[in-house]
Amino acid sequence: MRTLVFIPAWNEERSIADVIGDVRKALPAADVLVVDDGSTDATAERARAAGALVASLPFNQGVGAAQQTGYMHGLRGDYEVCAHLDADGQHIAGELARLVAEIEADRADMVIGSRYRERGDAQDDDYRANFSRRTGQHLFRLVVSLSTRQRFTDTTSGMRAVNRKVMRLFSDSYSPEFAEVESVQQAVLQGMRVEELQVRMLERAEGRSFLTPLRSTYYIFKTMVVLLVGQFRPRLKEGR
Amino acid sequence: MPAILAAAGGAEPVVRLTAQSRIIAAVLAIAFMLMILELIRRHKLHERYSVIWFVAGIAMLAGAAFPDLLRLLAEALGVRDVTIALFSLLFVLLLGLALSFSVIMSRQSAQITRLAQELALERARDQAENPDSSRGE
Repeated sequence: MRTLVFIPAWNEERSIADVIGDVRKALPAADVLVVDDGSTDATAERARAAGALVASLPFNQGVGAAQQTGYMHGLRGDYEVCAHLDADGQHIAGELARLVAEIEADRADMVIGSRYRERGDAQDDDYRANFSRRTGQHLFRLVVSLSTRQRFTDTTSGMRAVNRKVMRLFSDSYSPEFAEVESVQQAVLQGMRVEELQVRMLERAEGRSFLTPLRSTYYIFKTMVVLLVGQFRPRLKEGR
Repeated sequence: MPAILAAAGGAEPVVRLTAQSRIIAAVLAIAFMLMILELIRRHKLHERYSVIWFVAGIAMLAGAAFPDLLRLLAEALGVRDVTIALFSLLFVLLLGLALSFSVIMSRQSAQITRLAQELALERARDQAENPDSSRGE
């Protein structure tokens, strides 16, 4: 099956080459696209040097717009599976391969890699969220689960794999800013089969989260508004 | 106390616009509309967005020329003071304008995002077709 792995990246020059290398090792048959979200450092050059195709947005548009660009490339390039992971080294490409396998086996239309694991199963370098992040996670998890009547543990995960149905949906409409959380809700409400798979994630290797407590509060508030509106959005017609 | 309440309850709306303030308002309204015409002529304002400003200018002119309109407005709103009626109307009008600008801005921001995405995909296609040529930035 033709598989595209895309990596949205904004100023990730230190980690991008390693991430591309990991993806190549884990998914040797897949094409790799880096969506450079208006980086001002050498992200695009390093990605090209590492052998990836680079789609450079002329200015920073937010992670949602970057992810949508990847889905659009997947849809237009006739890929059957489209997967993505973060560029900061938190995500393990080998785990992404498990997500891709789920889509290839047609067990779901969209698979989300969840960083939350069963208790007592944790390892030393596993992901641990700080307080404000956990609060937001709990809230999103609760609201999305209520809205979709399906249990989700990690609604903000940027590690996903989708098939063409979801590529089409996300190419048409995708929130530019609150992409991750809202897209889970939208996919389920539009009738897609969305599943979660537990994956191992690392502490972020490079860079830092953009979320300060004040920003998190603002982000949580905005996302809640988006989810509330999303609940009442009309169902799109199944196209083509 | 009862006398004041009675007076407040039964009073007719008072027009407090003097001749001087009416002339100033009329001159301002005409100058405002001339400015809009000039902006359109110099292609600094899109015709599409000028209509609402013309309506505002004409309303200003009408209020200055026929103060009775303002009195009717005050009565309709149940306000005793014409100036308060005027300011309330102005406030609602500006609120509506600000909202319509937000809507226009949102639409344009979505269009800009699409343009940026199309450009990015075009760049990737270029690279796929000429993998060796180094890009001049």
